[in-house]
Amino acid sequence: MSPQQTTGPLRPMNTVGHNVPRIDSYERVTGRATYTRDVRLPGMLYARVLRSPHPHARIRSIDTSKAEALPGVRAVITHETHEVLYGSGSIAGGRQYSDAAKDITTHVRYMFDNPVRFVGQPLAAVAAVDRHVAEEAIQLIEVDYEELPFVLDPEEALEPGAPLIWPEGNLGLDFANQPRPSAGTSGDPEAGFRAADRVFEDRYTTAFVQDAQMEPRSALAHWDGDKVTIYTPTQGISNCRHDNARDLGLEDHQVQIICKYMGGGFGDKNGSYYFDLIAATLAKEADAPVLLELSRKDDWLGTHGRWHTVQDFKVGVAQDGTVTAIQLRAYSGMGPYLRRSGGISGTDAYACPNVDRTIYSVHTNRMVSGNFRAPSDPQGYFAIQSMMDDIAYKIGMDPVDFALKNMRRPTEQQRYTNYTLDECIARGRELFDWESRWRPEPGSDPGPIKRGAGMAFMMFRAGVGPSSAILRVNSDEMYTLFVGVTDIGPGAKTTMALIAAEELGVPLSQVEVVWGDTDLCPYSVGESGSRTTTMTGYAVVQAALDLKGQIAEKGMPLGDEVLIASATPTPSTQGLRRMCFGAHFVEVEADVQLGHVRISKYVAVHESGRILNPLPAKDQIRGAALQGVGQALHEDLLYDPQNGHPLNAGYYGARHVTHMDVPEIEVTFIETDDGFGPYGAKTVGEAGIILGPAAVANAVFNAIGHRMKDLPITREKILGALA
Amino acid sequence: MGKRENGDNSGIGDTSREDERESDLREDERESDLLESDLTRRGFLGGTGAALVVAGAPTLGTAEISTATAVAQVADVPRTTIRVTVNGSRERVEVEDRWTLNELLRDSLGLMGSKIGCNRGECGACTVLVDGEPVYSCSTLAVWADGQEIVTVEGLERDGDVSVLQQAFMDHNAPQCGFCTPGQLMTATALLDRNPRPTNMEVREALVGNLCRCSNYNAIVEAVLAAAGTSGSGGAA
Repeated sequence: MSPQQTTGPLRPMNTVGHNVPRIDSYERVTGRATYTRDVRLPGMLYARVLRSPHPHARIRSIDTSKAEALPGVRAVITHETHEVLYGSGSIAGGRQYSDAAKDITTHVRYMFDNPVRFVGQPLAAVAAVDRHVAEEAIQLIEVDYEELPFVLDPEEALEPGAPLIWPEGNLGLDFANQPRPSAGTSGDPEAGFRAADRVFEDRYTTAFVQDAQMEPRSALAHWDGDKVTIYTPTQGISNCRHDNARDLGLEDHQVQIICKYMGGGFGDKNGSYYFDLIAATLAKEADAPVLLELSRKDDWLGTHGRWHTVQDFKVGVAQDGTVTAIQLRAYSGMGPYLRRSGGISGTDAYACPNVDRTIYSVHTNRMVSGNFRAPSDPQGYFAIQSMMDDIAYKIGMDPVDFALKNMRRPTEQQRYTNYTLDECIARGRELFDWESRWRPEPGSDPGPIKRGAGMAFMMFRAGVGPSSAILRVNSDEMYTLFVGVTDIGPGAKTTMALIAAEELGVPLSQVEVVWGDTDLCPYSVGESGSRTTTMTGYAVVQAALDLKGQIAEKGMPLGDEVLIASATPTPSTQGLRRMCFGAHFVEVEADVQLGHVRISKYVAVHESGRILNPLPAKDQIRGAALQGVGQALHEDLLYDPQNGHPLNAGYYGARHVTHMDVPEIEVTFIETDDGFGPYGAKTVGEAGIILGPAAVANAVFNAIGHRMKDLPITREKILGALA
Repeated sequence: MGKRENGDNSGIGDTSREDERESDLREDERESDLLESDLTRRGFLGGTGAALVVAGAPTLGTAEISTATAVAQVADVPRTTIRVTVNGSRERVEVEDRWTLNELLRDSLGLMGSKIGCNRGECGACTVLVDGEPVYSCSTLAVWADGQEIVTVEGLERDGDVSVLQQAFMDHNAPQCGFCTPGQLMTATALLDRNPRPTNMEVREALVGNLCRCSNYNAIVEAVLAAAGTSGSGGAA
């Protein structure tokens, strides 16, 4: 055990660590919070997009004359009139913030593409004086399609003779722009399997899950000379600006991105999106501000969701329950463009040194896959922790003991800033009362309603990194904090103000926050990777330290004077691994006559360092856990194999969790300060979603005695397994 | 915005205050609207045809004739003048028959509180009260609201004070992203009006048509229970 692994009691703080309602909660409950679609500009036009009804088709011709003749229409654009690169829409290796990867990728995506490669792909857009005229005009565009063969299944897409979505094949490009799987070996897998007393093989699959944030995407663009301002819901105004500038052929300073309140994102709103480009192009053509509003169906099919996976595992285990080797062959369905990597996490949570992983990120003619809250984790953790739960059962071990035996721990070669995974599991086991809820013999409850328990554990990166903050104080002792964050939902704006107030030693009411505008705010990493608190929050601490120093030296400003401090720290953990940890324990009641599963107890224990604001932090975990339950039991996007059409786009079709499906989620934080980040804060937002699918699936197995290997675990699958 | 008895909507949208003298003119106005716009449409169609012949293809945005006639043509949709009371303010407003109640509230009256999450009756973000009942304003035509009383999230404050329910939403972190919040508030307001001390299950049943993708359901139910003076967890027992 290294000395970093334990920390003493936390030093109490003035502002941080107390339950603080959001500083903008009044705006949120009175309708005053201004979201992108609430912005109105004089002379504003409304835009709509025409989307492909075919999964794969070449556009022979497109006739917009009737749409253009419709009174009230001000601009019509197509792939023929505007060839605009959409750089963040298709990237070698899915490396979202790398210009180099965008520069070399040969699977280029344009704002409008020909051929179109999925149902819902945009191919033309209209701006008109109101949304009804725009919708009518869209109907008047005549497209002559040459339908092409399509493929929906990732494994079929790699078979010889499969319809080609790209000339060189359907395997996604890696970082070097080569069509290669992501493959890696550590240790000696062959030796590991030879050392095993038993070897287990199984296949697990996970379904596509739409991010489905409540606010559908939209973009409002207007030009002033050669500068464009785009109001758009984005989880990262700085990267959004850079991506849009790059695609529009502008310098960064010629693009202003404004995003204040945002109706959720969950990764759906990382960086830029093509609707920014469409709105900007239409606004230029029409010489007027243009608001593009996506419908719910546009948003569902035209953005992205969590990649669906097929995962084949082979795991070797010694007589004493030690895992000796892990092999993973997996396929991630990415749609026709590689917007993100298609990676699959989970094997890293095990100490087993002999690992052989090959993951194929595969193009299909389904809609695009991309980031959704912990992009590669819930699907990976579901598969491997179902696999391990099943092995524990087959060798006669309690799955908690199996986890404690095999989970990754710090070593002399790889030390951690701190490590609490065993503590998370122990606390969860006790709070949940595992011994009384877990059935040593799965499916053994008498009667049609059977209870069972399952657990899962995880670690997730809580890295530190560069970001910026500016802090100003004037003579009436009001502090103004400039941070390039947007408020996606977790309360970043409030958290940044809390950190400033804490470090400055002033009441929260003396801190104002200027946020969500690239013309006013310095660089921030954006609300992805759960990094805002750890990275931008740390910059706020540094700016406040600087400002305090200036005040100590010069005194408070007088009259019209101000003092300003800025910070762009580049912290490092010096080779130490910095992770947050968690364990979820779930009990279900499964009705084996109806196939219905109800969550009867859910305990979530997390170590995310110091919790800066427990009130919203708890709800981050509760909400994320429920999203995990939705992935476990409900959500999917089904396609008709005959015509390649999506069948259930939308909340009802995907059977999203409602108030009636909700169990109580009991959240416990183990708090520590590892000396990094702002006051030891680590990541929270993504951590909570990772374990739901695995823990729920393991509980279902324990209840009914049948292993459910395919998400979502629907009623018909349960009834089918029991038939 | 508007206190209930003494609303003031000056400066928002092209609405006119209720005027009893004009209330009987609605049918006549519709007739004359149709007549006028019919003429305009004929004139426009002739003009467009000529332009097509001459130019071969219409141009957009720059052609004055296109711009001038476009406004007239867009005006040529069936319209109805309705009377509604919105957040206590009596309004007489001409609406396009195809407008939803949500379009009337947001685009014409400038009340941006109700949100469009799906525009097809799935999510509840657009919920407002019509004669005290929660309805999806995306799935209600504006003309149907003729003669009815509408309350939106902007109408929940009294004399500058938030309602007990709004305060509970703030204290209990009920909004995460906040996009579903106005709808959750309106449905919960209607619930508490008719059932001031609901149980956990009654709250969840009432709110089942209001989705929250942040899945902050526990906190929302806890806030409603707290506003009702009861307390309890937000999840199923």
